[in-house]
Amino acid sequence: MEKIVIQQGIVLSESEKKEIRQNRIYKILPVVSIILLSALWLFASKEVLGFPSPAETWERFTQLLEKPIKALSLWGHIFVSLQRVFLALVLSWIIGISFGILLGWSEKCNALFGPVFTAFRAVPPLALIPLITIWFGTGEGPKVLLVFIGALMPVVVNTQAGMRNVNKLYLDVGTIFNATDRQKLFQIAIPSALDAIFAGVRTSASAAWMVVLAAEMLGAKAGVGFLIIRGMDSGDEALVLLSMICIGIVGAMLAVATQIAEGVLCPWTRKGSN
Amino acid sequence: MPVDEKRVKLRLENISQSYVVNNKVFDAVSNISLDVYDNEFLVILGPGHCGKSVLLNIIGGLEKPVEGSKYLDGEKLTGSDKRIGMVFQKLALMPWKTVMSNVEFGLQMASVEKTKRREIAQQYIDLVGLKGFEKSYPSQLSGGMKQRVGIARAYTNNPEILLMDEPFGQLDAQTRYAMQEEIQRVWYQQKRTIIFVTNNIEEAVYLGDRIVLLSKCPASVKQIYNIDLPRPRDTIEPKFLAIRKEISDNTDLAL
Repeated sequence: MEKIVIQQGIVLSESEKKEIRQNRIYKILPVVSIILLSALWLFASKEVLGFPSPAETWERFTQLLEKPIKALSLWGHIFVSLQRVFLALVLSWIIGISFGILLGWSEKCNALFGPVFTAFRAVPPLALIPLITIWFGTGEGPKVLLVFIGALMPVVVNTQAGMRNVNKLYLDVGTIFNATDRQKLFQIAIPSALDAIFAGVRTSASAAWMVVLAAEMLGAKAGVGFLIIRGMDSGDEALVLLSMICIGIVGAMLAVATQIAEGVLCPWTRKGSN
Repeated sequence: MPVDEKRVKLRLENISQSYVVNNKVFDAVSNISLDVYDNEFLVILGPGHCGKSVLLNIIGGLEKPVEGSKYLDGEKLTGSDKRIGMVFQKLALMPWKTVMSNVEFGLQMASVEKTKRREIAQQYIDLVGLKGFEKSYPSQLSGGMKQRVGIARAYTNNPEILLMDEPFGQLDAQTRYAMQEEIQRVWYQQKRTIIFVTNNIEEAVYLGDRIVLLSKCPASVKQIYNIDLPRPRDTIEPKFLAIRKEISDNTDLAL
């Protein structure tokens, strides 16, 4: 679709003016919510004891940049958490998508693994923390393993669903052109399941970010989850709040990044582009 | 061409198809035998939702009949065959592929080398008038353009028989007329045997060399009409209207 360029000096009709006004509202509304939240924050920090004000939080932020905790600045801690997330995500995507394709495409594999997987999936990754800690301790490996399990589930479930729902019509096209089963799998079924697979990838990214923080809160020497616990233990509310804000911003950036990746890898899902 | 000079391209013998629906046997096609001649435009006409598409799917090898057999050039066929192509009713364009990738899909399945298949696909994209849209995705095209992609895709594999399953059923009336002319033009330029299914009598008389009129469920051959009108046909000429009325009077009402 072509972009509509509003040229200067052109008289706009009433309805056009109304449309422009309405579009402006959608740009203003998000700003309104941010201002409201800030106002509420300011008000709460004055009224509630031990609730750091925006200024105090900002001060804590600049202080943390200069005075590292455990030899790491704020960026360093975020980087440590992200490193764990990325390693676990890449592993979960490779294994999860392959396993999901197997479950969705082969009736036999589905009958074999499906029931066990469904039961296992119902156990939240946080419930695995005790066992994993007992078996593997609290090092780097067990954390990545935990995040991996948390990220794996949505990838497998979505991939499997996508592969089960391949439109029969597309497979018929393959039959008409005498496609082999292999061609049908790689040229028809998997590409047509890509948007479902990507939905799983998006969910897995946010799940991984949540699980990594939980894992870090239960025993770590670095990471944003560690910062939060450090803040709690030392009665440093500003540090807790600062960590929470970082978690929110990084989580949102992860979501945006996966969305952009989807747009690049599956250009047909960008409706009406060109 | 006199009838005795016509060469039989495809022969259907006693084709029957039935399904079990809610524990009851439902007959869709009953004992259809039919000869299709080389390079003819054969229209299969019948009331809605009964047997026509099933018959086409059987010819294309998308389903197996419970009884009967089909012969292509005298050779018995069991499943699908690359000499038989199909234009689908519901378009069936792959949304993740560009126009070019959709059109070259059949050649890709036949493992034709990339530059070669691009070249062939481009010919047919040009033939159906989609030059300049090679890189567009189906979601960016209008209904008529999508169906042109479907036609180009079927032609690209150079099939000897082209099956068309109500290809224009979902188009608006204007586009439909334009596409009927288009399909006729393409058929003139690239002669193939075409088996075209429709429930629209006017469309059948406009396009067909012969019209096979099917009965209501279970579908069987009710009558075959030879349409000797010169092409391109005029849809409001008295002869055209007379044939149209004759067929119309003989057509079973759809349930």
